[in-house]
Amino acid sequence: MTQVLDAPARVGTPHPGRRRALLQRVGLGPSGSSRPPLVLLVPAVVTAGVALLPLVYLVVRAFEEGLGVVGDVLLRERTARLLLRSLALASSVTLACLVIGVGLAWLTTRSDLPGRRTWAVVAALPLAVPTYVAAFAWISFLPELAGPVGAFVVLTACSYPYVLLPVAATLRRLDPAGEEVARSLGLSPWQAFRRATLPQLRPAMAAGGLLVALYALSDFGAVSIMRFDAFTRVIYTSYRSSFDRTPAAVLGLLLVAVTVVLVWFEGRSRGRASYSRVGSGGARAQTTVRLGLLRLPAVLLTTGLAGLSLGVPVAALVYWSAVGDRGQVDLPALLSAAGTSVGFAFLGALVTTLLAVPVGVLAARRSGRLPQLLERAAWVGHALPGIVVAFSLVFLAVRYAYPLYQRTPVLVLAYVVLFLPLAVGAVRASAAQSPPALEEVARAAGARPLEVLRRVTLPLAAPGIGAGAVLVFLTCMKELPATLLLQPLGSATLATQMWTATGVAAYSAAAPYAAALVLLSALPTYLLGVRTGALDRTPEVSP
Amino acid sequence: MTEMAPNEMAPTDLALRVRGVSKAFGAPVLSGLDLDVAAGSLVALLGPSGCGKTTLLRLVAGFERSDAGTIEVGGQLVSGPGRHVVPERRRVGIVPQEGALFPHLSVHDNVAFGLARGERRGTRPDEVLELVGLAGLGRRMPHELSGGQQQRVALARALAPKPSLVLLDEPFSALDAGLRATVRAEVRASLRAAGASAVLVTHDQQEALSVADVVAVVRDGRVVQAADPWSVYAQPADLGVATFVGETIVLPGHAADGAVTSPLGALTTESTAYGDVAVVVRPEQLEFEPADLPSVAAVVSHREFYGHDALLRLDLGGGVSATARTPGHPLPEIGATVKVGVRGPVVVFPVA
Amino acid sequence: MNRTSRRLLAGLATAALLATAACGSDDEPGEGASGSDALIVYSGRNETLIAPLIEQFTKATGIEVTPRYGGSAELAAQLLEEGDRTPADVFLSQDAGALGALEEAGGLETLPQTTLDRVPAKYRSAEGAWVGTSGRSRVLVYNPDLVPAASLPKSVFDLTGPAYKGKVGYAPTNASFQAFVTGMRVSAGEERTREFLTAFQANEPQSFEGNVAVLEAVDAGTIPFGLINHYYLYERAAEAGGLDQVTARNYLFPGTDPGSLVNVAGVGILDGKGSTDAQAFVDFLVSEQGQTFFAEQTKEYPLVAGVPVELEGLPPLEQLGGPDVDLSQLESLDETLALLDEVGLT
Repeated sequence: MTQVLDAPARVGTPHPGRRRALLQRVGLGPSGSSRPPLVLLVPAVVTAGVALLPLVYLVVRAFEEGLGVVGDVLLRERTARLLLRSLALASSVTLACLVIGVGLAWLTTRSDLPGRRTWAVVAALPLAVPTYVAAFAWISFLPELAGPVGAFVVLTACSYPYVLLPVAATLRRLDPAGEEVARSLGLSPWQAFRRATLPQLRPAMAAGGLLVALYALSDFGAVSIMRFDAFTRVIYTSYRSSFDRTPAAVLGLLLVAVTVVLVWFEGRSRGRASYSRVGSGGARAQTTVRLGLLRLPAVLLTTGLAGLSLGVPVAALVYWSAVGDRGQVDLPALLSAAGTSVGFAFLGALVTTLLAVPVGVLAARRSGRLPQLLERAAWVGHALPGIVVAFSLVFLAVRYAYPLYQRTPVLVLAYVVLFLPLAVGAVRASAAQSPPALEEVARAAGARPLEVLRRVTLPLAAPGIGAGAVLVFLTCMKELPATLLLQPLGSATLATQMWTATGVAAYSAAAPYAAALVLLSALPTYLLGVRTGALDRTPEVSP
Repeated sequence: MTEMAPNEMAPTDLALRVRGVSKAFGAPVLSGLDLDVAAGSLVALLGPSGCGKTTLLRLVAGFERSDAGTIEVGGQLVSGPGRHVVPERRRVGIVPQEGALFPHLSVHDNVAFGLARGERRGTRPDEVLELVGLAGLGRRMPHELSGGQQQRVALARALAPKPSLVLLDEPFSALDAGLRATVRAEVRASLRAAGASAVLVTHDQQEALSVADVVAVVRDGRVVQAADPWSVYAQPADLGVATFVGETIVLPGHAADGAVTSPLGALTTESTAYGDVAVVVRPEQLEFEPADLPSVAAVVSHREFYGHDALLRLDLGGGVSATARTPGHPLPEIGATVKVGVRGPVVVFPVA
Repeated sequence: MNRTSRRLLAGLATAALLATAACGSDDEPGEGASGSDALIVYSGRNETLIAPLIEQFTKATGIEVTPRYGGSAELAAQLLEEGDRTPADVFLSQDAGALGALEEAGGLETLPQTTLDRVPAKYRSAEGAWVGTSGRSRVLVYNPDLVPAASLPKSVFDLTGPAYKGKVGYAPTNASFQAFVTGMRVSAGEERTREFLTAFQANEPQSFEGNVAVLEAVDAGTIPFGLINHYYLYERAAEAGGLDQVTARNYLFPGTDPGSLVNVAGVGILDGKGSTDAQAFVDFLVSEQGQTFFAEQTKEYPLVAGVPVELEGLPPLEQLGGPDVDLSQLESLDETLALLDEVGLT
């Protein structure tokens, strides 16, 4: 980044070199490509600011009692032990999700697995199952599962689609020529996949893996029901017990620090290679690998996974409804909760996606430090348990936006903070796919940056952006802790109603709400599956 | 096409004027480059990969900022100290390497992309499509076109807003050899018909020589020679240009008063060089068994047959050899001794 | 594609407008979160258990109530964050600890003596900041088919003996189990509690995910004993059509045994919100009607004298034992969890 300092001296202002070097270092100056347009930069900075809101609260609360308390909390033996325990859980879940996600992605995109289009959708459906529902389901069938194994099983079953979806999308898009070349050089199919294809899947795997890891770190539902003493439980109990918010804030900051490290690793593994496809036409259609004798085992494996991740919760719902004796389903209440859920989740998805677009497009197009920082800032809220984000917004809204407090906008803001990375990742990935030359041509043709965004970048990235929005929608639908604290007075969502029912062990009363939640989420998940597929459909060539 | 802006300018007007432009990406890429493009002419920027020609093109388009120097497009200063006009205000059309058509837009909408909203539904897109010989294909999608058609749509898209200058970045390199010549000719014709000024970036000397009005040879971030194709070929500015543009036989020699002694015998030159020189002979100057030329004996050490012609490697004795192009028939055997003469004056460059 | 995306954008924009319009109107009229006239109650008590009583209150007084439901501890923390700008008028908590924390932070109004006097001093704040609304006792639930009533243990500490190896069910993550341990720590001391928990753990107790599951296992005879709250048995009896339809029975450890801790749900008025409406709500909860609701609907102990309760096999409120602890001090959960974690009871 020092090339400007070596550049020939220019006439003009006294220190143009130094100033430009500085601008360039933060990604504002020309470095390899022209300056990021303000129409992207300004909203991206706003988005990053929103994502960093919880930090304000955490820092205020963590340090209000002095550094001594911070040290005490951090140095507690229990803190370290539980952090390590949670990290172990998160890494094992991530590893399992990578194996399952990549395996299923390959089976559903590249093999002759029977009904693979359907599987592609079914395999994404576990996203619609909240971890607390899955955990309840598992433990009601298999009480002995409680503990680390149970937490591992539930988190893996609920979050592998985070890996599956981006990897499947990449697999569909990859030029099969690479694998063919590898085969011609004497590699076995497996070797060819491992050495020619897998490295190209790395960015998708890293991004998905990061989502899984942070999800596992911040989840409270599964670990509490599975009685796995995880790090989030310390945070919850420090609110619950001493009502002293300092330890919780310190631990929250620790979680943010862990996130920063993980995000940094993800950024490194993403590498510097450009992943936009080179070439003017569409990629060739993927060749299908015949499974042959492995076809039956593959079907069994896929069915088994679907059974574990979807079948168990659904069976539990059916069972609870069947044994229910706590009266009829209150249909108006159910419909009203469904409407509220969809409304909140829709707004959450819409606003989150709108805010994610500038950050994602910048990250896809610019390599400067500022775009990178902005993108990484978006991750901060994702590793925080929902309750921490909720308290941050309570703190800030009560002080600075009182008229909006306990109104829809603040709840939507909480969704933005929590789920921004889901949308940013989708926008970045899809924007990175279209060659930058298209945007340059558009500029040369007289389109201003905003126009380029509207007429070229966004239409091309639309399927990916839509997929990101659906992902946020799903996650908002099942969000509980922040919704409980921030939803407008008197409103109720499917998730909060389910929480109410399970709170008095009225599982049969919870069942309709859980069922509605899963069903309402299934439609967008289906669209998501179709979308990620449609994104890469080979164009039909007219004769 | 009299409405084209470049035609309204006086012939002396410059469509592009580049002065002293420098650009470094860590290492310097352009160092004080000068270039003029006369209105209505096609200038080929010719140079090996990495010589900086694409960087120059990106600076002219406004995708990069220069470190020093000035760039004027159509008489307007677009880049200079304290001034950087954004790409969309430069009235410069570009045709990228692979066409880069918008995959989500039809051919018509691609061509109409740069037009003002009102003009997009007007006759201009069809007009330009007709100009590039693709009338009637407006409703197709880009992937439904052949590579050559895509390239011509990209040109139409660049021409539609009547730019002051069109930049073509190796637009034919992705096409196969058979198609390349045809598309090249069509693009040249379209540019002429539109009266557009254009800069073509290429590393293919044949392409540069065959289509350009002016060939500008770029080396080490500078234009080392800019002249009409014949001059660049026949009167290269230095040995580097000579060997890069066209095939050459380079031999050691000694020059004095227009006479050159060389392993090919006594030759003539228009140069006033004196002393040890590098002698540049074009293969087509070699003649076998000439009746009216002084000749020397050479042994055929290697030959490659191409059908219409053949390459012969000739051992001239004293460890000096030369490669000559000869008609495919009759072809001397390897080991045969032939007489070789040189027709016309040769180019020589003093050896430092 | 172009047309599709344009239509999509248009659709999204329309929907966004509609949604914005909708969320502008879905709240009560007025400005800000507390702009409505209704009484705002933060309830840590489950909606299923309290909503019918709130309805009765509105019917009786004409005062509209807007509730916010959540966990008692989370709501208490939220109230602490909101400070004096809280929209809430009344805080209804599932346990005394959360009320105690708010009281300590000066977040609660002092209630009038007439309200406080409805409830025994043991079940209300010493400074009068909150009042208990209903009580629950920890019990040993047992299966009489497997264990004769005569051979029941005299103290919860006896459960570490060899006779109970592998025979006790419990719900380690349940808040009331944790409150029981806290009560033991406060009354019997850290060391004694650690010894007990270590021995208890060594005695291979069976853990369940909730009190209901413990009761079900005892009732079915899968396990002879369980440590739960008293009302689960009576709720089950009500569902099954009478206590005689249920096998399991409750047992109270005699005296001040920590195994028979009595905890209360309670209510307080937020600082500066001492309106007549808020006062009316609190008074309604400790009225005969309110107390009867708790006795009948949630099978808890009413705390007001003279309100009948039918809890077969259990003594009346005034005869309940349990450790002698200040209920607002049952908030030191951190230490309890650390201790549970230390001995491996999670």
